[in-house]
Amino acid sequence: MTKLVEKRTVDMRIIGEWVEPGTRVLDLGCGRGVLLDYLVQTKHVAAVGVDLDFTKISACVRRGVSAYQGDMVAFMRAFSAKHFDRVICSRTVHELNDPAEVILEALRVGRTVTVGFVNHGYWKNRVDALLRGRKLRNAVYTTDWFESRPTNPVSIADFEHFCATKGITITRREHLGGDWKSPCRLLPNLFAGYALYDLAK
Amino acid sequence: MNPAEANASHPSAAIGEIGLVEPHDFHCRAPFTFDSGQTLPGFTLRYETYGQLNATRDNTILICHALSGDHHCAGLHPGDRKPGWWNNLIGPGKAVDTRRFFVVCANVLGGCVGSTGPSSPNPETGQPYGVAFPFVTIRDMVRSQKLLLDQLGVVSLYAAIGGSMGGMQVLQWGIEFPGFTRRMLAMATTARESAQAIAFNEVGRQAIMQDPAWNRGDYPRDGGPRVGLAIARMMAHITYLSDASMDRKFGRRKKETADRAAYNFDIQFEVEGYLRHQGESFINRFDANSYLYITRALDHFDLAAAHGSLEQAFAAVEAETLVLGFTSDWLFPCEQNRAIALALLRAGRRASYAELSTDLGHDSFLLESPQLYDLVRGFLERDQPYVFDFAI
Repeated sequence: MTKLVEKRTVDMRIIGEWVEPGTRVLDLGCGRGVLLDYLVQTKHVAAVGVDLDFTKISACVRRGVSAYQGDMVAFMRAFSAKHFDRVICSRTVHELNDPAEVILEALRVGRTVTVGFVNHGYWKNRVDALLRGRKLRNAVYTTDWFESRPTNPVSIADFEHFCATKGITITRREHLGGDWKSPCRLLPNLFAGYALYDLAK
Repeated sequence: MNPAEANASHPSAAIGEIGLVEPHDFHCRAPFTFDSGQTLPGFTLRYETYGQLNATRDNTILICHALSGDHHCAGLHPGDRKPGWWNNLIGPGKAVDTRRFFVVCANVLGGCVGSTGPSSPNPETGQPYGVAFPFVTIRDMVRSQKLLLDQLGVVSLYAAIGGSMGGMQVLQWGIEFPGFTRRMLAMATTARESAQAIAFNEVGRQAIMQDPAWNRGDYPRDGGPRVGLAIARMMAHITYLSDASMDRKFGRRKKETADRAAYNFDIQFEVEGYLRHQGESFINRFDANSYLYITRALDHFDLAAAHGSLEQAFAAVEAETLVLGFTSDWLFPCEQNRAIALALLRAGRRASYAELSTDLGHDSFLLESPQLYDLVRGFLERDQPYVFDFAI
């Protein structure tokens, strides 16, 4: 198992612990449906994912995971308030055009919103920026600037500031160290590699 | 897993052809009451089947055809060069794999390719029914085909698949026979026709009915409003294509015979010749009254109105659904396909929506596209459940 796959499963495992069995779950940016497949199998959730890419939707269908191809905000607008028990936004926020719009809409249609992201404020990233002065390239940020989609990296401090600004309640947080496994309690914005939040409003 | 299944799920399984096929007739001798309240003493459906019904009788895939389609969706008729209209999708090793599934396709009630319709003889007069034929709805088409499947011994439908009007029937299957229909795959369709689609149908009907040869629906089998029907088909055919696909196929190219300087109304552009050909070949295979009846069935189809709301329409659905829209379809645009999947999800059903980028318009569902095949195959032949292993 590669390092990256290992890290992905860690993320999945924590979200899996947070999800209540038999609930209705929406995954924004569901990709090939791996997370939802896992949640369906382990927690028997009623799952649906949203993604923009046909081949990803096709992969979800092949797995038996319900998926919708289209814009995630437009999708959520088609549902009444609190239709979903949980809306998951795992490793998607840094790629959104308008993260606030997505998260606030997710808080409208979902009782709980789970957000997971790679902490851009992690110390190695800071050192890298200081010493190399170039776009980050490592196991997580794999592409050169000219071959990547525009991204909007977010740090733990950025995210918690956003929640405070928008009056969003953080009901649960989990900060993982650079190995994305062990809990990180000391100065998470500096030492955490990955962050997970449950939000409510 | 039986050998056929093992073979089918193997990616290198050779793709074959069904080969020669022949139609069959199902005669229902019991009276049939239409949604309109009108009745027929019985009816016939012409159908074809490919593959074998399995021992548990639950591997049937029903193919539902569109307005101008028929029961011959795959394989070859003796002497024909062209196979059935969805032959690219259906066959041994294809996306709808006849080594695994028992595929059934019937000409709709009200049609004119062997099933009872306005051109069939009225037993009371010995003459074609004409406009005395009962009004047909999408639900009537579905209910009549259920009687056929019962006769064939099918106990449960593995999937219903169809595009356009076929997609409407697919949705109706899930609603009408929820315990029976296990999967719905609807493409390029709508849960209710928009004003634009009704408008196009009305122009087609007017072309037919304004043709003096229509004679209020009373015409001999080999006669009738040939001009009107051809014009209806020419116009409808434009709605099945797209600006981009027509431009690619014809552009402004002129017929070789056309004199470039000629200021007259003879055929000059290739697209004109193409449409005339479409119209002329259509009148030799389609009945004008059937065209009126079936377009009316399309117009009347409105699941939201029939059930109070689309969510209520889908409330009892048990099938897992896949809706597929095509970006260049302007007859039943993506938005209307999306609405189906969203309503199913709001109703708490399992539904997916996929959208294929094409420039071929409404007829894209007939496209030869590996992406389309993969999607259909994936929906029908699910992978084995993925085993999650966190051992590192």
